[in-house]
Amino acid sequence: MFFAIHPLKKIHRKIILFLAMFFVGLTSFAEGPPPPSSMSNPFVVMMVIVMIILALAIGLLANVLLGVAQVQSEKEKDEKKSANKKISSATATTAAGIIALLFLCSPLAAQDKAASVAATTNVTDSISSTTFYMMAGVIFLELIVVIVLLYNLKLLLNIQKNKITTAEGAVEYKPRVSLWDKINSFKPVEQEVTIDLGHDYDGIRELDNRLPPWWLYGFYCTIIFAGIYLWRYHVSHTAPLSGEEFQIAMQQASLQREAYLKKAANNVDETTVKFLSDGNDLASGKTIFETTCFPCHGKFGEGGVGPNLTDDYWLHGGDIKDIFKTIKYGWPEKGMKSWKDDYSPVQIAQLSSYIKSLHGSNPANAKAPQGTVDIISDSTSNKKDSVKTAALQ
Amino acid sequence: MQTEKFFYDNKTVKWFAYAVLFWCIVGMLAGLWASIAFFYPGINLGLPATTFGRMRPVHTNAVIFAFVGNGIFMGVYYSLQRLCKTRMFSDKLSKIHFWGWQLIIVFGAISLWAGMSTGKEYAELEWPLDISIAVVWIVFGINLFGTIIKRRESHIYVAIWFYIATWVTVAMLHIVNSVELPISFVKSYSWYAGVQDALVQWWYGHNAVAFFLTTPYLGLMYYFLPKAANRPIYSYRLSIIHFWALIFIYIWAGPHHLLYTALPDWAQSLGVVFSIMLIAPSWGGMLNGLFTLRGAWDKVREEPVLKFLVVAITCYGMATFEGPMLSLKSVNAISHFTDWTIAHVHIGALGWNGFLTFGVLYWLIPKMWNTTLYSKKLAGTHFWIGTIGIVLYAIPLYWAGFTQSMMWKTFTEEGQLKFQFLETVTHIIPMYITRSIGGTLYIIGAFIMIYNLRKTILQGSFIANEAAEAAPLPTTITTHGKEYWHRWIERRPMKMLVFSLIAVAIGGLLELIPTFLVKSNIPTISSVKPYTILELHGRDIYVREGCYLCHSQMIRPFRDEVARYGEYSKAGEFVYDHPFQWGSKRTGPDLARIGGKYPDSWHYNHMIDPQSMSPGSIMPSYGWLLTNDLDTSKSSKMIWAMKKLGVPYPDGYESQANKDLLQQEENIRANLRLEKIKTHGNKEIVALIAYLQRLGKDIKAAPVTETTKKESLSVLGN
Repeated sequence: MFFAIHPLKKIHRKIILFLAMFFVGLTSFAEGPPPPSSMSNPFVVMMVIVMIILALAIGLLANVLLGVAQVQSEKEKDEKKSANKKISSATATTAAGIIALLFLCSPLAAQDKAASVAATTNVTDSISSTTFYMMAGVIFLELIVVIVLLYNLKLLLNIQKNKITTAEGAVEYKPRVSLWDKINSFKPVEQEVTIDLGHDYDGIRELDNRLPPWWLYGFYCTIIFAGIYLWRYHVSHTAPLSGEEFQIAMQQASLQREAYLKKAANNVDETTVKFLSDGNDLASGKTIFETTCFPCHGKFGEGGVGPNLTDDYWLHGGDIKDIFKTIKYGWPEKGMKSWKDDYSPVQIAQLSSYIKSLHGSNPANAKAPQGTVDIISDSTSNKKDSVKTAALQ
Repeated sequence: MQTEKFFYDNKTVKWFAYAVLFWCIVGMLAGLWASIAFFYPGINLGLPATTFGRMRPVHTNAVIFAFVGNGIFMGVYYSLQRLCKTRMFSDKLSKIHFWGWQLIIVFGAISLWAGMSTGKEYAELEWPLDISIAVVWIVFGINLFGTIIKRRESHIYVAIWFYIATWVTVAMLHIVNSVELPISFVKSYSWYAGVQDALVQWWYGHNAVAFFLTTPYLGLMYYFLPKAANRPIYSYRLSIIHFWALIFIYIWAGPHHLLYTALPDWAQSLGVVFSIMLIAPSWGGMLNGLFTLRGAWDKVREEPVLKFLVVAITCYGMATFEGPMLSLKSVNAISHFTDWTIAHVHIGALGWNGFLTFGVLYWLIPKMWNTTLYSKKLAGTHFWIGTIGIVLYAIPLYWAGFTQSMMWKTFTEEGQLKFQFLETVTHIIPMYITRSIGGTLYIIGAFIMIYNLRKTILQGSFIANEAAEAAPLPTTITTHGKEYWHRWIERRPMKMLVFSLIAVAIGGLLELIPTFLVKSNIPTISSVKPYTILELHGRDIYVREGCYLCHSQMIRPFRDEVARYGEYSKAGEFVYDHPFQWGSKRTGPDLARIGGKYPDSWHYNHMIDPQSMSPGSIMPSYGWLLTNDLDTSKSSKMIWAMKKLGVPYPDGYESQANKDLLQQEENIRANLRLEKIKTHGNKEIVALIAYLQRLGKDIKAAPVTETTKKESLSVLGN
């Protein structure tokens, strides 16, 4: 018993400490760094208020629960019945569990505050989705804590109530009809005889219970769903079939892409591409080359299934623009696929530049030249006007 | 009334029970083996027979038809006699049934390992075995109906309704789906082509799940659950409604395996809505099972048999709710072709079929050996190990499936695919490893069960012929008071058979016939030409190696798939595909438009060592294609068969076919020589390359360049 109460007191203190910290946290949030602009959003204000109210409710409930638990355990201490030991320690553990939950909650809440401040400084007009979900998450957690607290409170009070009723003497037993029984329209097991159909198959009897109403109405609902579904897709044509769905998705995608490309200045194509001499660009190009191109062109561009990329000979032109075009559109009939759906224009430019930079590196096991000579004066230079010695037709 | 004395035949039940235990281990080990190939492709030890493409059909066939199949027969032979109060119709037929079925399984496994396959999932066995299956199934049917007819019980119980529906539907599905044209004892081509073949196959495939894995097991549940719990069936009314609704609706739902494919939209929609309507009828079985346990839940804590049954029924409920959800197009767009489906079916297979079988075994073996279970504690251990096994199996795969699908669909802001296909595979390999651990646990559980049952058998003494007595069937059946209308049919098993057949035939007929007869369902594409003979040979190899088990040939109309694989697949592209090879899972990328994407030499190198061309690939090496000779003596027979099936080859082409073959082979070998690859003539690799290079090319409206001209061969087309 002593063991059970002592930690309770400690926990009590901890709770107060926590609540205090919580409010300190709140005030610091209110005064805090730059006045968060989303605080002007009435929705955010409302959510914050809900969070605070719930936190207060938790505090209050926790206090009441602790009080009840203490009363309970003291009572039991008086009764000094060994059988009751279990209950009180159970109460203690429940209480401890709740406290643990609360503490679990607090760092979360703190993180949330930090995150929401961080997020709101970035977002000016509306709340960012992270802020919203964080806040919603906290409210949800708080609600769970409240429910757990209420449940435990009810449990404790019931213990007392039961004691009173047992003390008062025999109370008539009434079959309890739970919600579960109701939604399934169960017949109490005791009245089963009335619906026994008298069938006997190798000792197996059959009852004549009603169909669970939710099951039956669920079945009707699915049939109605089926009707509406078929009607929408095949009669009224208000829902898109596979082909139309595809068209819609493609339109959306191209709009998104255009919008993005307009904003982003990476709108490179085969007419505007230039050699990128920057180390970072070449490194990115190298990464792509070593993950995607090397099976055919060799790790150092020495060639394999595909042609050697380090010599003076080119099948489809050795100018940066030609290389860009080759990568972008491919030469499918010769086994070079188009990579425009795999890599962005900038990535293709980086890759083309990296390939240009390989010129003259003379790797081991180089494949024999293929195509026409297309000498470039200096492979690593930024010269785009390479000297063409052979016509590219 | 004078009672009659008779004996139940326990011997056949015993043999089926032993077969269940044996095939349980074989089937599950094959599955474990196949699952290890996902993170250790070298597990095939360089042998053709043990590659994933051949182990997977062995696994699925062994688990479905050997483990569950024998489980059905074990349960039916035990319960049917007792529900009909009579011995089985004929001991001789029981014996033929048992040995016939085991022989089919053994030959089936051997033929699948040898690469004899029709290329249709869960119906891979070749035509001689298909015929044997039909024969044995009819033997079973005679035994089943013979027993029902000579029963001493006036009405037939709900379990038997399910047995009857199972028998008639499986017969129908098997016969229709197995119509094929043999060209030799071990090779045949599906009668149907492309879209139609796909529809027939998934009408079969889906209802194999329904009528081989579900309805017979519901029948078993209706017998063994109330027996084990000693509780009355919760609701007779529910039994009636869910039985008829289930068998009528189930049959329509097949097209949900083909959502977003080239199957006509109306058929897809039927698949969706009937799947949704299937929730309640399926759950009717679960509710009737679980509610039967009302008032007996305390027993569930004590009794391992009930524990297994409860988890089995719960898994059934989960799987039959998940199934309809997966049939919604928006969910299917994510789940299809991924491991999500694999997780889903294993909830059904490991949970529902596996656990129900285990529960029945734990109940029935002590009964037949007139003893008690050797150790309840060990059975409890089995229960927990098995349950953890299921969880460890399914959760990683759900995760893997969802993750991979999301990765497939991710685009960068510039509008490029963010992940290469291979990246999405290597990303989920840890999940594959966890899945194998889950599977291993499940098998360990099965071994514990075998030990426990062995001990039980040793401590008991087998009752081969169990004495029983019952009054004979009265000539006129008197009814007491109010009778349900349904009691009428319960006295007439043959009418039950006919009505069940009508119920299950409607859906199939209404979906299949229009797809076959209405031309607008499969718009023809004039540029789609028949395969060349070399390509046909390549296709046979593709089917033999089970490539369709990891590679789909069906690009769905999604932005990501079109970006990754090319123009989405059209119905008219598959009109010469006997059988169709759309696949149902993408462990590797789609191959519908692989033709011309890579040079011949790429494919050559890739077949020898996939990792050399796609580092990190989990495809095994197919080195034997380089040394295996192509059997060109089959060529004329192949062309004959294709013409018979309606493929428009010119008259007399049979005799010229091999000339074309040599020419196309020479072209490919010349291409390879350019890349310094020397090949011997007449090897399988060249045929496979020819087939792969043809895939999906026909509808490309690209101007004919020199190389493509070389490939599209002389006699055909232009």
